[in-house]
Amino acid sequence: MRRVRIESVGVSPPRRGFFRWGALKHTVEAGKRCLAASKYRPADVRVLVNAGVHRDGHVCEPAIACYVQHALDINVDFHGRRTLSFDLLNGSVGLLSAAHVVSAQMLAGEAAVGMVVAGEANSDRRPDAESTFPASGAAMLLDLSPTAGAGFGAFAFDTREERADLYTAVVSLKEPRGKLLIRRRAELEEAWLEGASSAAAEALERDGLTPADLDLVVPAQISPAFLSRLPTALGVAKERVADYTATLPDTLTTSFVLALDRARTEGALPPGKRALLLAFGSGVTVGAATYRS
Amino acid sequence: MTRKIRIESLGIRLPEKVVTTEELMASCRRRPRLDLERITGIVTRRVAVDEHAADLAVGAARRALAMSRYAPEELDAIVCTSISKHNRPDEFTFEPATAVLVRRAVGAKKALVFDVVNACAGLLNGIWVLQGLIRSGAIRRGMVVSGEQNMPLARTAAREVRHSLDGQLAALTLGDCGAAVIVDASPDDKVGFHWLDLVTGARHDHFCWSKPSSRGSGGILVTKARGLQIEGNRNFPAYLKQALDATGWDWSDVHHVIPHQVSTRAIRQGIRAISRYMGCDLPDVFLSHAETFGNTTTASHFLALHDFILRGTIRSGANVVLVSGASGIVISHATFTFDDLPERYLGHVNGAPA
Repeated sequence: MRRVRIESVGVSPPRRGFFRWGALKHTVEAGKRCLAASKYRPADVRVLVNAGVHRDGHVCEPAIACYVQHALDINVDFHGRRTLSFDLLNGSVGLLSAAHVVSAQMLAGEAAVGMVVAGEANSDRRPDAESTFPASGAAMLLDLSPTAGAGFGAFAFDTREERADLYTAVVSLKEPRGKLLIRRRAELEEAWLEGASSAAAEALERDGLTPADLDLVVPAQISPAFLSRLPTALGVAKERVADYTATLPDTLTTSFVLALDRARTEGALPPGKRALLLAFGSGVTVGAATYRS
Repeated sequence: MTRKIRIESLGIRLPEKVVTTEELMASCRRRPRLDLERITGIVTRRVAVDEHAADLAVGAARRALAMSRYAPEELDAIVCTSISKHNRPDEFTFEPATAVLVRRAVGAKKALVFDVVNACAGLLNGIWVLQGLIRSGAIRRGMVVSGEQNMPLARTAAREVRHSLDGQLAALTLGDCGAAVIVDASPDDKVGFHWLDLVTGARHDHFCWSKPSSRGSGGILVTKARGLQIEGNRNFPAYLKQALDATGWDWSDVHHVIPHQVSTRAIRQGIRAISRYMGCDLPDVFLSHAETFGNTTTASHFLALHDFILRGTIRSGANVVLVSGASGIVISHATFTFDDLPERYLGHVNGAPA
């Protein structure tokens, strides 16, 4: 069976500077870098999915993906080649869900090239103290793998809806321009670890693998303390978990892609290596996907 | 088994309270000097009382499950496509995904859950997503659900509208509704979705947007209705023709066309645009009930299916075309043939054995 691979990755990591970048600017920057590193032209992209949750000005219509499509100049007119753009929201797991959905469309023959993007920023003028996070962007261009066995294997998502209240993000509409309020409760990391064990086991089983087969685990960079507990939860050796928390903070949806980009840049994922991608989000949901580079 | 998917079940949660356009216009702080009812043709809409967007979605999901052959735990996916995520007063919920709340409420323990947001094209977009997941073998069946509580936007518009050309006037045409459909692989090649296509013309992304108000509390919807209609009508007939050609239908095969119920005037203009493009007179197959329910955004097409099935207009085996235009601009078309769902739905809603 054919697989869908990550053809190129583009990231716009947290930056210092006098001017704050919004979520859209980060997303577009990551998209540009992703397309620049790809063999495909913008016009080849048939599906564009934006999975960023926190958007500039808390805009909820139209889909932010439309703005990204426009900025990246991907088939913006109604004639010639066509592109469908939409948003997929699933907390910080959204980008992995988007990769799952786009992969399915490719395997079903609906698209040959797809792109998943995300950007996260709190655009409030006076952000709530508990709701701040580093702004960033990430993009992945997906196509059907020309190499047998390379690409995404199985996706698995573990949702514990009875614990949905552990992580909420709402925009209060009581004040002008709205205010983002993110609330995470202390028990969240415990729920994530339980979800990670279950989602990883399911993904590995579906792909006919065991934890010992994994060369690298690429998780969202939640915190050093959280990542130090992952090896036990997953049953893998500590050195197999990609921990870049010393330089990469948790950037929500984009986090695991930033870590994946770092791993690829450092040569930690040469061709033929098996990786497990992990994302942790509200829901409480943990997403896992096996990937062979 | 074919590659086609079908609508296996349908559920609608329509609030009971009726609010007239005249009442909404009278509630404006500065009443614009225009007759919105005459211009749009919208006379009434339904308004949720003591219910929020997620409640409408859950209500619709429960109704769809009540008529379905499937139990909640047999659903492999729930995709929520609401634009309005007003799950509590004066709040817009981004996390958790509304689909998580629906899964919790209906007990779909094994369902993959996420939200798809693509303005008014959301529900069709959600079906397209499930179609890919079903065809690729990732899932066998799933539910697309939407709960639209649009009245908070109308209330802000009533406070902030300043003149007859104000961009927020379109918010006064909205109505509340929840809709859910369960889709699975069609057992018969003759029924189900023959064509489902969405395309985004992102050059036109500036005609309609929604965000928190900068002038006070609440959210706003700003629409440049004329520009949206002109660009939409200029481009959508070609995609409709493509949908009919790809399905192998001409107008004599089409039993019903359900346009997005924006307003009766917009629907009339859309019909004229198709007629101009195709160079022929069109049969009387276009269904409109915008005057009664207003624009229920993502739920619009499926509320129309519910209403016209109950009226006896849409029957089992009917060939239906769905036409949608959404901010972005997103143009979407679907052609499908019903199995016995209209009959089952009528029987279910009227309390007869399904």
